[in-house]
Amino acid sequence: MKIEDKDIIRTAQQLREEQNAQFHVRPWNRHSHFHIPTWLVAVPAAAIIGFVLGIWTNVSNLKEAKLTALVDTVYIKVPEKVNEPDTIVQTDTKQKETPIVKPISTTSAVKHNRPTTVGRSIADDKIRYDLLVKN
Amino acid sequence: MLIPLRLSAQTDEQLMLRAARGSDRAFEELYNRHARRLQGFFVRRLGEDSDLAADFMHDTFLRLYAARESYREGKSFRAWFYTIAYNLCKNHLRNRLMMVHDKCEDAMDTTDIEVEMDTSILHDALSQILRDLPEDYAMLFSLHYEEELSVPQVAQITSLPEGTIKSRLHKTMTLIKQKLQQYEDRR
Repeated sequence: MKIEDKDIIRTAQQLREEQNAQFHVRPWNRHSHFHIPTWLVAVPAAAIIGFVLGIWTNVSNLKEAKLTALVDTVYIKVPEKVNEPDTIVQTDTKQKETPIVKPISTTSAVKHNRPTTVGRSIADDKIRYDLLVKN
Repeated sequence: MLIPLRLSAQTDEQLMLRAARGSDRAFEELYNRHARRLQGFFVRRLGEDSDLAADFMHDTFLRLYAARESYREGKSFRAWFYTIAYNLCKNHLRNRLMMVHDKCEDAMDTTDIEVEMDTSILHDALSQILRDLPEDYAMLFSLHYEEELSVPQVAQITSLPEGTIKSRLHKTMTLIKQKLQQYEDRR
């Protein structure tokens, strides 16, 4: 068959490939053959990052839990409605016990718009119902 | 624009830029990519001495490594790389090249030749002919056809005008055909 330029070029490239495949090529740097595999760095790094993130999330949740508990349920003692008229506080004096002091009859100067005795007294059971919080 | 992280996915120019900025791994990737081919180029140009070719190949990369910081973006890596290799070859064969050059310029007949040959024979014949080709022509043939560098790149490497390169490549092809014809006639 007739030999064209392209046949010569193709054969020359084929020869080049055959020849190149036979060579032993020296490594670039004989002393730097050992490389740490990427996964050996990536896996521990991911574990450490995960551990730190886990601790941070846990701490964050605990803080939030306390806040939530504080605002969860709040019991407030609602005052009872008293339809009594304004009370006049009267002090009974005993002449025998305090002979020096004259019996005094006083009238409250202040006119109360709301009952003075509301709910249960704090002193009765020592519980502050208004501050009672249920977790 | 996404930057490929794997070195093997990067172009020669990108790797050379990374090497210029101090990445030895990028340079090693370039070596792994081109060492074998460059060694083949030296074997063919320096006369089948594989040890000498390996030394020259290593020397080329050492020079490239030493000059890596002078690499600028937009410069063709392969043209730069083969310029170093070509100069090493040229220095080694300087005396022979001058002799071959003088001899071939005068003796060349550039008329087109038609060769009739079996393709199975072409492989062996061409292998022998390329080995015996005058170095001046063999070098251009090797750079353009075997190493697949463009004519402007070959012109840049050899510091010859593009017209001269084209003319010599044509003469080389004619010479190869002449020798193929002689090979066929001898059979």
